[in-house]
Amino acid sequence: MKNVILITIDTLRADMLRSYGSKANLTPHIDSLKDNIVIFKNSHATGPYTQASFQGILASEYYLEYGKEKKLNKNKILISEPLKSQGIHTVGFHSNAQLSYFFGYNKGWEVFYDSMKDDVSDMYPFIRGAEINNKVKGFLTNFNFSKPLFLWVHYMDVHEPYIAEGKYLSKIDPNIKLSKEEMFSLFKNTILPRDISDKDKVGTLRSLYMAKVAETDRYLKELFDIFGSHNLLDNSTIIITSDHGDEFLEHGGLSHDGKMYAELINVPFLVYDKSFSHTTIDTPVSLIDIPPTICSIFGVQPAPSFKGKSLYPFNSIASYVLYGEAMGKIGHKEKDTDRPIYYIVKDGIKVIYREDGSNWQAYDIEVDPADTKDISAKLTEDKKDKLNSFIGRKK
Amino acid sequence: MVTKERKKELEEKIAKSKEIAREAFSKFNHDELAITWTGGKDSTLTLWIIKNVCEEDIIKIPKVMTIDEGDAFSEIHQILKEYEKKWNLDLEWCSNKDVIDAAGGVLGADVTVADLTEANQKEIGERLGYPGDKFPFEAESWIGNHLMKTVVFNDFVKRNNIKGMFMGIRWDEQPARKKDDYFMLREGDGYTPEHTRIQPILHFTERDIWDTTHIFGIPYCSLYKNGYRSLGAATTSFKMSDIPAWEQDFDSTAERAGRRQDKEEAMERLRKLGYM
Repeated sequence: MKNVILITIDTLRADMLRSYGSKANLTPHIDSLKDNIVIFKNSHATGPYTQASFQGILASEYYLEYGKEKKLNKNKILISEPLKSQGIHTVGFHSNAQLSYFFGYNKGWEVFYDSMKDDVSDMYPFIRGAEINNKVKGFLTNFNFSKPLFLWVHYMDVHEPYIAEGKYLSKIDPNIKLSKEEMFSLFKNTILPRDISDKDKVGTLRSLYMAKVAETDRYLKELFDIFGSHNLLDNSTIIITSDHGDEFLEHGGLSHDGKMYAELINVPFLVYDKSFSHTTIDTPVSLIDIPPTICSIFGVQPAPSFKGKSLYPFNSIASYVLYGEAMGKIGHKEKDTDRPIYYIVKDGIKVIYREDGSNWQAYDIEVDPADTKDISAKLTEDKKDKLNSFIGRKK
Repeated sequence: MVTKERKKELEEKIAKSKEIAREAFSKFNHDELAITWTGGKDSTLTLWIIKNVCEEDIIKIPKVMTIDEGDAFSEIHQILKEYEKKWNLDLEWCSNKDVIDAAGGVLGADVTVADLTEANQKEIGERLGYPGDKFPFEAESWIGNHLMKTVVFNDFVKRNNIKGMFMGIRWDEQPARKKDDYFMLREGDGYTPEHTRIQPILHFTERDIWDTTHIFGIPYCSLYKNGYRSLGAATTSFKMSDIPAWEQDFDSTAERAGRRQDKEEAMERLRKLGYM
């Protein structure tokens, strides 16, 4: 009997991991899995923030399929739904308000913990990883393993306000001596207003962010220990990914706004299974494929609404066109005047189109993976047509 | 096995609850009191305690009301019906028939606001400030919860001129309850009639409820045995586990995790993150 575990880490950039080129040693636990892992080196989220990206990860849908909506459209089917109907236990633990009952993400889960009934502080406005692990542990202790399990665990810890722990921060930058109140003030006064005037502050924020990545890797290790004590590591396929990255001035901004550049769209996508041997896949893939892939591992028919296709068994991935869309908002608050932004990746080229500026951009992601040099002057019509065909699909 | 000390401890908790019930009977006229009963474990214990006080003091059990949201478990109906008879209750089944009819009784069906009574339209437009002309029929959505529960509750209080409502709220149920008192005055406004909420079992924990229920042979809905910890509407409540509620790990899992949450809680989180 096979189980599938989906671990999502909010706001985790791919380049924070060694296996994606980081020189820092932030994720020793994830790195330690390398012998039994399939790594998608060029994995792309379908959008640069939770609402836009999680529709891909959990529903294999694009964000604006039915226009801009506050809640998950009722025609969109979550991965939990086809699995539950086939007798698989569907269990989720998370603390992201955008994915709470109120926004419609409770569908198909037998157990759905979204933490909204629990108290949180201003500095940690979500349930932290250690407590999420406790919930998972409590659940597994009571759980009757008579049917296969699909477990989703989501960590919020890397997400701002980046209140970092000294023991992780000191390894990244021992010169940063900030109190938690001072870190919180950076969130309030630098991140929220998108104040980029002081480059040192942005550098400090980047270090705080990295310390949160290291802290979260520690939660992940604890979680794997919990899985081990319930013999889940022997018979489970474990997917580790993120919904989007975070920006530290790479394209003139902070946090994760409505942009489609690498620091926001390129996220880790790793699949661990004791029976796997280390495999690297360079073909660009989209997180839209996660729900059909999970169905395929379980041998369950995917929902007809799913827009992606299965990547399982991960050995021959033919290249395909990736697509994503979101609102081109700047700042945390969406405004009525915000216009959509779209991207495709085709033949090694990323094409971005912002509706608000009729603005085409293009990047050769094979030679310029950080999207630094706009080559839109050389952009061919077929790529514009392809992107337009995605945009026009709904009309 | 429950120890003697534990039994004594629970008897003391019951005695405290009875004291609150008697205080309510002395504060209000008998016909100004009513009991809310969902068929869930907390309101059933509350009702059982009031029934005991009434038997001891030889008074009639006050009027009991239950709300049918149009999405109830059949197991809940069963326990309500069974003990309505066995305990000889004066039970009123309340519902917002106007909304159920407009949805054709179909969950998820779109309800057109203009099809509803003027009173319901006022609740949606003026009180909730909902700008849409349609909404889906769901018992525990923002609008559904208001129309199917709050409006029905207020209507019952108004119609029967109720001044004191017994309710099975507990302090440990959720953080928002922590500051509750045994007697809570709800001031009236254009929509809510003024009334006092009487909460005799505030001091019971989830563990106390189950131990008391088992020791004193208080009836409970069969769904708890199948793993439900908390019972809301049928289509939005989920099992926490396959094992009975009272055998689950109360400390590390949330009782109400299997219930739909409110808009306000999600919004408060987003505000903290700077999104609102």
